[in-house]
Amino acid sequence: MLFFLARRVGMMLLTALCLTVLVFYLTNLPAKLETLAKTQAGARISDAEVASWLERNGYGAPMPVRYGEWLGVVPGWVHESPDGTLRGRCIARAADPAEAPTYCGLLQGYWGWSTRFNDAVGSVIATRLGATGMLMLWVMIVMVPSALAVGVLAGMREGSRADRTLSTGAIVSTATPEYVSGVVFIAFFASSTVGLSPLLREWGLLDSPVLFQGNARSAMEGITFWNFTLPVVTIALYGMGYIARMTRASMTEVMTQQYIRTARLKGASFRAIVLKHALRNALIAPFTVIMLQFPWLLNGVVIVEVLFSYPGFGWTLVEAAGNNDIELLLACAVVAVVVVLLTQLISDIGYVYLNPRIRIS
Amino acid sequence: MSNTQSTHLHPAARMYAAECRAGKLGRREFLTRATALGVSVPAAYGLLGLAAPAAKAQTPQRGGSLRMQMDIKAQRDPRTWDWSELANVCRGWLEYLVAYERDGSLSPVLLESWEASDDATEYTLRVRSGVTWNNGDPLTAAHVAHNIERWADASVEGNSMAGRMGAIAEDGKLRDGAIEIVDDLTLRLHLSSPDIAIIVNMSDYPAAVVHPSFTGDDPVANPIGTGPYRPVSHQTGIGAVIERNPDHTWWNEGNGAWLDRIEFLDLGTDPSAWLAAVESGEVEILYQTTGDFIDLFDAVGMVKTEAVTASTLAVRFNQDQPPYDNVNVRRALQLAVDNEVVLELGYNDLGEVAENHHVCPIHPEYAELPPLEFDPDRAREMIAAEGLADHEFELISIDDAWQAATCDSVAAQIRDAGINIRRTILPGATFWNDWLVYPFSSTEWNMRPLGVQVLNLAYRSGVAWNEAAFANEEFDRLLEQANGIPDADERREVMRRLQEIMQEEGVLIQPYWRSLFRHAMPNVGGAEMHPTFEVRYQEYWKS
Repeated sequence: MLFFLARRVGMMLLTALCLTVLVFYLTNLPAKLETLAKTQAGARISDAEVASWLERNGYGAPMPVRYGEWLGVVPGWVHESPDGTLRGRCIARAADPAEAPTYCGLLQGYWGWSTRFNDAVGSVIATRLGATGMLMLWVMIVMVPSALAVGVLAGMREGSRADRTLSTGAIVSTATPEYVSGVVFIAFFASSTVGLSPLLREWGLLDSPVLFQGNARSAMEGITFWNFTLPVVTIALYGMGYIARMTRASMTEVMTQQYIRTARLKGASFRAIVLKHALRNALIAPFTVIMLQFPWLLNGVVIVEVLFSYPGFGWTLVEAAGNNDIELLLACAVVAVVVVLLTQLISDIGYVYLNPRIRIS
Repeated sequence: MSNTQSTHLHPAARMYAAECRAGKLGRREFLTRATALGVSVPAAYGLLGLAAPAAKAQTPQRGGSLRMQMDIKAQRDPRTWDWSELANVCRGWLEYLVAYERDGSLSPVLLESWEASDDATEYTLRVRSGVTWNNGDPLTAAHVAHNIERWADASVEGNSMAGRMGAIAEDGKLRDGAIEIVDDLTLRLHLSSPDIAIIVNMSDYPAAVVHPSFTGDDPVANPIGTGPYRPVSHQTGIGAVIERNPDHTWWNEGNGAWLDRIEFLDLGTDPSAWLAAVESGEVEILYQTTGDFIDLFDAVGMVKTEAVTASTLAVRFNQDQPPYDNVNVRRALQLAVDNEVVLELGYNDLGEVAENHHVCPIHPEYAELPPLEFDPDRAREMIAAEGLADHEFELISIDDAWQAATCDSVAAQIRDAGINIRRTILPGATFWNDWLVYPFSSTEWNMRPLGVQVLNLAYRSGVAWNEAAFANEEFDRLLEQANGIPDADERREVMRRLQEIMQEEGVLIQPYWRSLFRHAMPNVGGAEMHPTFEVRYQEYWKS
């Protein structure tokens, strides 16, 4: 078990290293650095000013050296301006330039500085991940129970009318990407001129101008049913169909097993068969699928957070990429690797507990 | 805002007034010119025999908080600001020497009055008395001189004020003896050449007046200013909160700072997200509305305000890049485009047709030229005669809705004339990398109050923003001459030739002058759209 864990962690570090090298290379191409200088020092500055800005802000060294600085294995850059003031990667972190550490990178626990948000990357990522965490939590609360319920209901009597109806619904929801369903929901629920809201107002059932808020920015200060429903439902609906399909497939398979037939012959009620005998075995496959949904959710939140202007991890990723915020993008890459591999690890370990026949290592 | 009337009335001002009465000069143009010479607004109206318009039809109410949609960008040194939004956030505490008003006049803010010598080479500035910084220091002439010196320093990357202070600078910094501090509240500028725009330039958004202790890059982190507000929070890409400063007595107390609190929300660049936020009541006023969304925001019950401006889209050729180094090619492409059609298709007819020379009828020195020719057949022949019949031209634009639409309609007309052209749309993140050197592309230009100003910034040989790579000896000489003629009618004679050169040389296709629009909820007052995008939230109020 320990060997298995160590191998997985090693794998995670290796993947993160490869990915960050790639991201670092792509974001440090000369054209990208020029974009960065122009967003930082003025869109209309000249080429000479770009060069001097890059030199003064530590982008002058060769790429491997700067990657080393970021990792914390190469001393951070220092630039002395003509009037004698020192600027440098590590100097900004200490009150007195003389006391600044030589190395300041990932190994020293320093994630770098976000040029877009003008703040330490560590605190930007922490705040934004927190916001996305709230979104994911609510998505899971909505998505998992409803998906399992739909899957089990559909799968326990394969081919019945209930199965056909629920399966069709699940396929439709999986087949509708977030950028379609999100826009449809906004038009239908969050517009005072079209969709449901004007109708409800006419009937006197609605006091506010719209049924749900089509913009989730206010959820930063306090999550309400009013401002969080649409983003949560948009993500949940997409994942729900997929999990429901998996649960149904697993359930139908279990329902044809010998031990279910035995239970039936034994005279157990249908309800008892489903709840006691079928459910646990049927949930093994969906469990893995649910765990795999986490990385997939990271994908979905990019679209949904931008659409509803909710500043979470996905939104940050878009902002960082759009403004070539190098160190923030690197941190995003590391976080994404950790989330993907960690959830897979949990899913593997959880599998063992759900299915005693499986052994790790 | 009050203004002390200067006792000495500039002689040109009386002349302008006579012209204005005779109908030779628009009232708006008269106001810009007269006030630039140091004549106060009431006095300027007085010269026309009119009373200055009452400040507000409705009485502003004190209190309340306002939520406004606006981009929040990472802050930096004010003189290097490249977006009006950067300035707008700080307007509550960083004030200006003078302000450019919606009616085209200049009004005094931290200056009480100013006077130009008759040849526009010497300016006397009187600093308003009784102004204090919010750290308790009184504002003095030395502080103002310090700011002017900062503006003149061209060694700072991206300091766009340096170009505007050319007449008092030397070797990229303030010329010795250019500023004379007469007493605590008076200073005199000695210009090396006449410059009629120097005071107007001090109303431009990077000219925010900072405290002498300001050295850093971030005016939000260290908010020492003279204005009535102070920042509470500022998060790039998300929003900013500003509140009335309870520990500071504003010099203009009682004439503004009605709101207790202003919240800026950055909801991204997609107007449909703004619409959703307006619908749910999260936003009460927008920064700017464009294109099809103007009607949509009307429909949800917001009130529209309009500002007529000299802002435009310059679809310019870069004369360093073949085939645009050939004047016949440039002229031919101009001939293929009917600017009226571009205005209609590219900007929903929300503006005035322009004439390819980047001088606007609202500029005081604008000279009327014969109408532009539109002859697609001749355009094709000219292109063929240059051996470019099979050449595929490429027109580049940013992926902004109205800018892309405008370039699409320019390209469509060129294509209709039988000339091959390809459209390329670049995302905002990469577009600005090469905006100066694209062979054929479009750039958004905001307005400047005087006609010579944009010509100085963008078309004089070798200046930093000369994206057309236009270098014309006669043009430079005449422009230099125009810069020294305070009288707009005399200047117009030179200007006429400048405009003709711009057209003859086929510098750019400049299809229209934009009108700008802003939407606000009906209970928001004093927040009309400003021609230079100013958000002076100290004048806004809610009922």
